[in-house]
Parts: sequence; C-alpha cells; structure tokens
Amino acid sequence: MFDLDSRAISVSASQANRVRLTMSGTLLNDFIAAHLYESGPRLATVFTPDIYNDNLQTFHELFEPIGLPDDLRDKVFLPNKKQLKVSKAEQKVWVEVFVEYWKAVNELFMYQNRQPGASAVVIFNAWKKFVNVLIRGYSSPSSFPAWTLPCLYISGKYLRVFAIKADAEVVSQGSASFGFQDDLAADFEKNGNLEEAARIMNRMFTLCLSDRAPIEDSRKWGIYNTTNLLFKTYFKINSVGLTKNLLRAINAQSHDLPRLEAFPKSHIVTFEYYVGVIHFLDENYIEAEKHLTSAWRMCHRQALKNRELILTYLIPCHLVTTHTLPSPRLLAQFPRLEEFFRPLSNCIRKGDLVGFDRAMTAGEEEFVKRRIYLPLERGRDIALRNLFRKVFIAGGFEEAKDGQPPIRRTRVPVAEFAAALRIGTHATARTRVDTDEVECLLANLIYKGLMKGYIARERGIVVLSKNNSAFPGTGV
Amino acid sequence: MSNSTDKTNPAEQPQQKPQVLEEDDEFEDFPVEDWSQEDAEQSAANGGNEHLWEESWDDDDAAEDFSKQLKEELKKVEAST
Repeated sequence: MFDLDSRAISVSASQANRVRLTMSGTLLNDFIAAHLYESGPRLATVFTPDIYNDNLQTFHELFEPIGLPDDLRDKVFLPNKKQLKVSKAEQKVWVEVFVEYWKAVNELFMYQNRQPGASAVVIFNAWKKFVNVLIRGYSSPSSFPAWTLPCLYISGKYLRVFAIKADAEVVSQGSASFGFQDDLAADFEKNGNLEEAARIMNRMFTLCLSDRAPIEDSRKWGIYNTTNLLFKTYFKINSVGLTKNLLRAINAQSHDLPRLEAFPKSHIVTFEYYVGVIHFLDENYIEAEKHLTSAWRMCHRQALKNRELILTYLIPCHLVTTHTLPSPRLLAQFPRLEEFFRPLSNCIRKGDLVGFDRAMTAGEEEFVKRRIYLPLERGRDIALRNLFRKVFIAGGFEEAKDGQPPIRRTRVPVAEFAAALRIGTHATARTRVDTDEVECLLANLIYKGLMKGYIARERGIVVLSKNNSAFPGTGV
Repeated sequence: MSNSTDKTNPAEQPQQKPQVLEEDDEFEDFPVEDWSQEDAEQSAANGGNEHLWEESWDDDDAAEDFSKQLKEELKKVEAST
C-alpha cells in the first residue's frame, strides 16, 4: 500500500489527508491528485506512454481491462467521492479511457518485448481507440473540464508519433514484399496512418474552436496547441495547403478568442513559426517576416534548435524585404546557419557575383530541401547593387562649393559599371561585357528600386539621385 | 523520435550521408509550456534585435582596393576599345 505520493501533498496537506488512497500504483494516484488540484500537466503525465516509466509498468502489471472498471470505481471514485468533482457520466468515460489506454500500453510493451503479433500498426490502432474515447469525453454534454486539455494534447502528440512509425512499418514491409514496382500504390500508402491521425486531430481542433463555455473554462485555450499539432502533420504529409483551412476557421472565430499574448508562449511561438513559414512558402515575405519575428522574440532563449529553425526562414525573408544581411554575431551562435549563410553573405556584401553563384550551387541541395532557394536567389540583385554601389563610392565627391557639404559625383559613366561587372564576374581579358548588358542590369536595379536614377544613353552615363538616395537604404 | 519514418529504408538510401536534416526539419516541443519575457529571446537583458542584422554596407579598407581595381579594369576596357 502506498500513501499519496509526496508531490501531491505539497499543495494542501489537510486536503490530501482527506483523500483515501487504498490502492497501489502511483499512476492512479496521479490521476486523483491531478483532479484534486485541477492540474492539466499532471493529468497529462498519467497518459504519457513512456514505457520506461516505472509507474506505467506498475499500472500495466497490476491491472487488466476486465477488472479496471471495478478497480476505478472502488479505489478511485467511491473513496474520494466528496473531493473529486467528477460526475457519474464523466466517471464512465474515464473508465473507458483507462481501459483503452491500458490496451494501447499493452501493445507498446508487447512490441518492446518483440512478442508475436505486435507491430507499430497495431499500436497505432490501439492508441487511436484510446484517443477516440478521450475525444468522446469532451464531446458529451457532461464534458471533461477545460483544465484537462493537456491530456488531449499528449494523446494527439503520440497519435502523430505512432502514426509515423506505423507508416514507416507499412512502407518497409511493402518494399520488402513487392520491391519498388508499384510506386503509385506505395506513394498512396506512405502516409495512410498519418492522414488518418490528421483527421482525428481535426476533431480535436473543432472541439477546441467550437466550445461555447465561458472563456475561463473554455477549450478555446487549446486552439493553438491543436492547430500546431495539425500544422506539423500537414507539413509532414506535404499538404501545406490544408493549413489554410485551419487559419480560415480561426480567423472566422477570432472575435471570440482571447488575444494571442494571453496564451502560453510555447503555443504561440510554434503557431507563429508555422504561420510565418506558410506565408514564406507563398512567397509573401513581408507577412512571413512579421510572424517569424514575433516567434523569434518570444522564443525561449535556450531552445537552440527552434531558434535556428526560425532564423532559417527569417534570414532569407529579411534579405528580400529589407535587403540586409545577418550580422556575423548572429551567425556565430549557430554553426549550421553560419555554414549556410556566411559564404553567401560575404559574396553579397562584396558584390562578388561569381562567388555568389558558386555559393548558391554549393548549397543548392540544402537550400532546395529547406525551400529557401528562391528568396536566397534574389540575393544576387543585392550583390549586384553592392557592386554598383562601390562604383558610386569610388567615384568620390564633386568639388565642394564654398561652405556646402561635399556632394558625391552623381553622373557615373556606364563604362565604370561595365568595368565593375568585369570585376564582379571575374572576367578574363577575353570575356566581353556588352554595354547593352550593363544597361539592362542597371535598368533592372532601377526598376526594382535598388538604385535611383536614370540612364542617359546618348551620353553613356548614369545620372544618380542626389541627397543620399542613389542606393536607397544603404546610406548613400 | 517522431521523425524516424524516412530512415527506415537503409537499403534504399546510401549510407554516406547521415540523415541529420530529417531530424532537424521539425519544430520541437518546448520542455515548458510558458515562460517569462526574461527567458525569451528578446528580453530586457539583450535589448532589441539591433544586433541581428548588418548595420552598414561600408567597408573602408575594401573600398580603396576596389577603387584601384576599378581603375585598372577601366584602363583595360579603354585599351581594348
């Protein structure tokens, strides 16, 4: 016989004393304690399928599905009737939840022990049943209260984990028995379980979004967490388009949702990251930057991996929207990003076009994989702008009129830009650089707003804007 | 552990390349649900985000070199035309 474990006592000794625990198995104790203190995180630990957790092992060994309903009634609900605010209807669902949970956990242990019949697909199916019962607990009129939501999150998290494992198993078995002949079928089945998981998660999403309870006790607090779960899943099955439906549904309800800052930061940072990446993939870099910046600012400082991911998209965004580069100080904190972006940044900075092309080729595989190739490619214009800007700087100043501050020479021969282009492209003596080509590049930069001025063709010069606005945003 | 799918076919994928990237693709769950602004990236302690981006495009040392290089290149161009 165990007493209530020490963690539970910390809140209120007197309250704990009144709780009668007549059974061993701290998992059920945790369930009681979670209800007493209305602690969602604690309830979530009860339903975390960590097979290396002693409590879970004990739970699995001490009980079996057939006896669980009586055990729960006699040892959890009846003895603590006064303290636990769990209605009869709720109790009934919790019993079913525990039964399905036990079965799923049983499959996990069987798989772990390599017992015949055990498989990742079987685990997924058992877990699915557990999740479905849990969802029912929230759908019925006497619904589980909103504080229990972390238990829904954890069930969704592992639903996804088990679905991915099940899909991997299906694929490996398929390839073993059929070879790779039937690619189409293989493709179709590749994500079958995860797609099914997504449909279940979608029900969680609706469950949260459509709750009409007063906001203090509303499942609306779970909306971003369940959305994040779906985001991750849609990204994994390559259906990013489906994320739009979720965003549309959230927007339609936005007047009923608490403001974003009121949610826990982990929900919001993840949400903002994905919304940022979704805009990014739509090449809507301004909007993407807004969300990614917000994710960056709120992100936990020790979450290195997540900070790195945010920057992976924020840096290309920033290059496109404001034509600026990450600082060496920023890159120095992230060796992987340094490897990606440092060579490119150096070439952009120097106006080294050949070096830029080489860096793009060298990183192509990574850039494509991370879907940042397209915006990074736009860095070539910035490199060219910087090259031409150097021509402008090298041109020096007009003779100063008395008392006036010196003015830069704003009439620059096209030939100088041509010469710069030869430097930037590492042209050899035999390479020809046509004036037409140079003019075309200049016109292009002017059109894109990276340079201000016009080409006076008949005189072979470029007339640049005065008053430090020839190369907007660069100080000259 | 949620990313193990694409690694299940060792026969299909040559071993030469470690599959680190697959692991890296996914935004991780935070170990805690919420934290104070002090623990956030942009806290009072590290000020704004002014250290993030390159402030200036100017590089005085390189500017002189470039100026010389440009003059030489111009001479070459003029000589050839």
